[in-house]
Amino acid sequence: MDAKGRALSETVWTRLDRKAGAITELTIRQLRHRISTWVVLIVGALVMALLLAFYVDAIRDDFEPVDNDGDSVDWDNDGYPQGQENKYGTSDWDGQEYPGSGYYVMTGEVDWNDDSRSHSGNHTWEGQGYLDAEWVDLDYTGNRWSGLIDWGEVNPCPEGDVLDDWWPDWGEACTYDDGLYFVSGKFRASGSVNVPENGYMQWGHMTLESYVEPEPASMYIDEDGILWDGEDVSDLETIVEVDDDGDCLADMNDNNRNGIPCDVIWILDADGDEIIEIRADYNVNEDPEESKYLGESSHRTFIIGTGKMAFVMMLGIFIPLFLALGLVRDETENGTLHYLLSKPIHRAEFIIYRLLGYLLLAGTYILVLVLLMALVTSLIGPGDSLIRLSDFPVWLGIGLATVLVLAAYGALYNTLGLIAPKYGVYFCIILGIWEFIMGMFTMTLPSASVPMLSISHWALQLIDAIVLIAWPDTLQYTQIASAFGIDSGLPFFWQPPVHTLDTQSPVVALLVSITVLLLITVAMVGIGQASFKNREIM
Amino acid sequence: MSDKTPAVLVDQASKWYGEVIGINDVSLAIDGGVTGVLGPNGAGKSTLFKLLMGRLKPSQGSVRLFGVDPWTNTAPYRRVGYVSESERMYDWMTALDFVTTLARLHGMTREEATARAEHVLDFVGLSDVQNKELGKYSKGMRQRVKIAHALVHDPDLIILDEPLHGCDPIARTSIMNVIRELGSQGKTVIISSHILEEIERITEQIVILHNGRLLALGNLHAIRALLDKHPHRILLTCDDPRHLASEFISEDPVYGVRFPEEGKLEIQTNDLSAAHAILPRVIVDSGADVSAIENPDDNLESLLGYLIGGDS
Repeated sequence: MDAKGRALSETVWTRLDRKAGAITELTIRQLRHRISTWVVLIVGALVMALLLAFYVDAIRDDFEPVDNDGDSVDWDNDGYPQGQENKYGTSDWDGQEYPGSGYYVMTGEVDWNDDSRSHSGNHTWEGQGYLDAEWVDLDYTGNRWSGLIDWGEVNPCPEGDVLDDWWPDWGEACTYDDGLYFVSGKFRASGSVNVPENGYMQWGHMTLESYVEPEPASMYIDEDGILWDGEDVSDLETIVEVDDDGDCLADMNDNNRNGIPCDVIWILDADGDEIIEIRADYNVNEDPEESKYLGESSHRTFIIGTGKMAFVMMLGIFIPLFLALGLVRDETENGTLHYLLSKPIHRAEFIIYRLLGYLLLAGTYILVLVLLMALVTSLIGPGDSLIRLSDFPVWLGIGLATVLVLAAYGALYNTLGLIAPKYGVYFCIILGIWEFIMGMFTMTLPSASVPMLSISHWALQLIDAIVLIAWPDTLQYTQIASAFGIDSGLPFFWQPPVHTLDTQSPVVALLVSITVLLLITVAMVGIGQASFKNREIM
Repeated sequence: MSDKTPAVLVDQASKWYGEVIGINDVSLAIDGGVTGVLGPNGAGKSTLFKLLMGRLKPSQGSVRLFGVDPWTNTAPYRRVGYVSESERMYDWMTALDFVTTLARLHGMTREEATARAEHVLDFVGLSDVQNKELGKYSKGMRQRVKIAHALVHDPDLIILDEPLHGCDPIARTSIMNVIRELGSQGKTVIISSHILEEIERITEQIVILHNGRLLALGNLHAIRALLDKHPHRILLTCDDPRHLASEFISEDPVYGVRFPEEGKLEIQTNDLSAAHAILPRVIVDSGADVSAIENPDDNLESLLGYLIGGDS
C-alpha cells in the first residue's frame, strides 16, 4: 500500500475497532496474495465484459421490424398479403380467392333426400348429377374450392349405376352415348341437371370480379401498435383499443370474455398509475413497432438477466467458493492460526472480522463492476437523454443483492469449511448446484415454496423488487409481451416480486428479501462461531 | 505481579486424545523466572502449552493463566506471549509488517504497533532486516520474528515451544541471550526443549515431562548432582588412547577404561564432577594430544533413564 492509501485507510480504520481493522486488513491482504482470488475476479470481469460486448452489439443494431402476426406474408401466393385478404374477407389459403376475385353466391340446392331431384338454368354448379347441357363454360376458372371439372378430358362413363356400381372422381365428368354427362365437381353451364338419389348439387352465381391493387407487405409490419407511450397510463382505463389492421374484425373473437370482441382490457393497480395486467382478444395490437417496444424491453432484459444470472448466480456462488471457504479453515491447516489466536481476540469475533475482510474485498469488486456496467448501459441504452439515470438504482440494487448473497454464501461456506474441513468444498459445490437450480426455479415459478429454502431465491426476489421500484412500468412490458404474444426475454427474467406480504408493494418485498438474506448470514455466522468456539486446535 | 495468583497454575490436569495420552495428571505452578520444560518428543510439552493457550480443553483437572481459565476467556492473552512450534508464517509479509499486524490485535493503533514492532525486532536483533519478506528469512531469523511477535505487547508471561529447534548455533546463542534477558527483566518465561544442554545454558529451574507425566520439577543442578553419583562415561578423542588410559586408571574417580573405537578412549566413573576435576591435569601430564572431550551420558535420555529408575 502506498503512503496515500495508508493514510486513507487510517482515517477509515481508526473509527472502527482496531483489532477488527487489523484482522480485516490482514484478510484482504492475504486474499490479495492468492492467485485463485485474482483468477476468480478476473474471470468474473471477463464474463461481464463479454456480456457487455453482446449487449453493445445488440443495442447498436437498430431493431429490425418484425411481423409478429405474420400477416405481411402472402401465404396462398395470390399476390395479396394476408393482412389485405383479411380486410377484404377473402381466403388467405386459397390462391383462387383474393381481393377482387369475386365470390360464389349460392341460390339453390338439391339435397340428398329432396323429392324434386332436377333443376334447369344457367348457373355455376357444384355437386354430382346427370347434366343435359345446352352450354358449358369450358374456360371457367372462378371458383371457391378445388374440384373444378376438367372439360378437356371427358371419358365415356363406365357400365352400371353411378354411386352404386362406380364412384366418380371429384373434378371429373364422363359422358354417355346419348350426349348426357355425369358431372362431379364444379362447373358453369346452362341446361338441366338431374341429381341421383343420395347425391347433392347446389347452384348459384359468381359476383363480379374487379381489380384490387395489391398492398405492399411492409404495410402489414408493425401495423397494429399498442396504444401506450410507456409513460402516462392514468387515462388508460377507459381507452378502447383499436384493431388497426382489421385482422380481428375479420374474424371476431372475445378471448378475454368481456362481451366485447376485439378489445383489450387494461387492469390498473389501486393508484391507477400502473398496468398490472393486460387481457387482450386475439389479433388486437399484436404487431407493435419493434424499435419502440423491443429496444426498451431488451435493454431491461439485459440488465435484469445479467444481474440475476451473472452477478447473483455466477459471481455470487463462485466468489465465496474461492474466497470464503478457507477463511478460517486455511489458517488452521497452515498453522498460522496460532499467531492470531494467541492474541486477546475471541474466536467468535475472529470469524466476524475474517468475513468482514472478505466482504470488503468482494464487495468493492462487485461495486466497481456494477458501476462500470451501469455506466456503459446507461450511456448506450435506448432513450433520448444522454444518460439513463434510471439504470443506476437497478444496477445498485443488483450490487446490493450480490453483496448480500456474498455475505450469506460467505458465512455459509466458511461455516462448512469449519465443520467439515476436508469435505467442505464438496458440500459447497453441491450447495452451489442446489442454489443454481433453485435460482432457475425462482425465475420461472417465483411463488413456488421449495426455492424459498435457497439463498439465491431471496436475492433474485430482491432484484425483482428493485426493478419494480426503479422501473414501475416493467410490469407493463412483461404484460404486453405475454398479452400480445411478442417475443421478449423479459417475462422469463423478470416477474413481479412475490414476498410483498399481501401489500403488493415492491418496497415491502425488497425489505423482506434483505431481512431474510441478513438473517441467513447471521445464522450461518452463528453456527460457524459455535462450532469454532468449541474446537480444539492442534 | 501484585496478586497472589501464579502466572501458570496447572491442577491435576490430564488431556487425552482418544486412546492417546497427551498429559497425565500434571500439577504445577510457575511464577517468575525462566522455567525450562524438558522432555523427549511426545512427552506432552506441546500439549501442556496448548492447554495453557486455550487451544485445547483439559480432559480432567484445570488450567489457569493468571487465575483465569484460558479455554473460555481470552483476557489472559493480554499478558501472555506465545511462540508456537508451528513453522508456518505469512511468507509474503515483511517481519515488521507481521509483528505490527499482530501487535494491532492487542488494540494498539497502527503507530503504536509499528513503534512496538520496531522495538522488539531490535530486541531480537533483526532491526536491520525487518523490511525483508519472511519467506526470505533463515530458520533462526524466523524463530526470532516469532519471539518478537510474542513480546510485542510487553507480556508478563512468555511461553516458547521449542524456540531453538532447527536453529544454527549463532541463532541459538542469540535466542538464548534474548530469553536470559527476558528472565532478568523479571518476566515469567516458560521454554520447552528436548535438549538438556540448551536448557542448562538458560536456566536452572526445570520441569521434566515424560510420557505425559510430570517426572521432576525443581533445580536442574540438584537433579544433576544426583545424576553425578551415577555411572558415567567420558569419551576422549586422542592420538594414543592406550597410553592415556594407563594414566587414568590409577586415578581415584576412574573405575574402568574402554577403547570403543580407533583413536577413542572411554573413561568410566561414579563421580562425574571429580572425574572432570582431574581430567585437565592427567591429560597435560600424559602429554597426549586430545582433540575432543564428550560426555555421552550428559543428555536428557540419560537423565530421564536415571529419574525413571532404570540404568543408563
